[in-house]
Amino acid sequence: MNRKLVFAIFVMLLVLSCLSISTVSAHRLHIVHKLSEIEIEAYFGGGTPCRDANVNVYDKEGNLYIEGVTDDEGKFRFSPKIGMDEYKVVVEAVHMPGHKAETVINLSQEAAGAGAGGMGTEMPLYTRAIAGFGYLIGLAGAAMAYMGWKMKKKYENL
Amino acid sequence: MVHISDGILSLPVLAAGWAITIALIAVVLWWSKRKGSIVEEIPRLSVITSAFFVASLFHIAIGPTSVHLILNGLMGVTLGILAYPAIFIGLLLQAFLFGHGGITVLGVNTIDMGVPALVAHGIFKVGNKLIPLESITSKAVLGALAGGIAVALAVLLTAGMLCTLGIEYAWAIKALILYHIPIIVIETVIVGSVVAFLARVKPELIGSLGGERR
Repeated sequence: MNRKLVFAIFVMLLVLSCLSISTVSAHRLHIVHKLSEIEIEAYFGGGTPCRDANVNVYDKEGNLYIEGVTDDEGKFRFSPKIGMDEYKVVVEAVHMPGHKAETVINLSQEAAGAGAGGMGTEMPLYTRAIAGFGYLIGLAGAAMAYMGWKMKKKYENL
Repeated sequence: MVHISDGILSLPVLAAGWAITIALIAVVLWWSKRKGSIVEEIPRLSVITSAFFVASLFHIAIGPTSVHLILNGLMGVTLGILAYPAIFIGLLLQAFLFGHGGITVLGVNTIDMGVPALVAHGIFKVGNKLIPLESITSKAVLGALAGGIAVALAVLLTAGMLCTLGIEYAWAIKALILYHIPIIVIETVIVGSVVAFLARVKPELIGSLGGERR
């Protein structure tokens, strides 16, 4: 009789412990998510950071969303708004008046890996300088070719 | 950094800038054509414009910002009145390739740098006439003077253009002039030494169709 009671209690405990597994959560791993910040960086050609510049961030409709100034590294951070994935950022330099730039940040494209901005995406400076020389040499060449053609014509007429 | 960016100045100023620049280029080309063949000048113009084009890449960090060489005085001294169209070409390339300035402000920026280049040419030409010395030193001093004044004038003109935006931009004059003092000094030295060098080895590079070659 005593043995039966012990057995019954044991079975009850076993059932209870099985039932309670799903409710015990001491080791459960939690994941929550938060979209933190978009960081922009403004710099002059040559890499000097554009400090203390006025930054205006507009949403897709063109309404002003956030405004502020860049820090010593030319950086400015702002939190994106849920549901808004496109921002227009306009930076106007203060220490070098007359300098202004704007860019459009599209978060859905960033996620697809298409819009990684920054210094790396520009064509290297030396290639652009060489391109410029190319145009000027072309101009000189065209002028010389014209002069040569004119001279040839002059001699042919003699 | 006397290039003004797109989207800052008002539409009438931009339009006036383009109108004045086109008119000045037309006058310069017409005037030069009367004096001789422009085509013959183009190779020389290309070389000097190349120097102007890359000069804007030489940045000097000053205080919280950075400035770069302009070399519009050198353009005026070496190319004469043709410096104006040459500066237009140089600025066009800078706008497309370096992102300095922009297309809508090209007219205004050409005035800002081109008119001082014409003044530099005038100073150099008149100075050379008034001082009938064949010495290289006197030419170099005149060149240096023209080079320095050209930059100072370019800065003043740029500040003036920004002032069309309203009185709140008046501080722009102070900031621009302050940060460009080193550039004025550097370009004074550069144009002075380039003129001294050219006067010795290739005097035909100094002066232009518009001015007598001495």
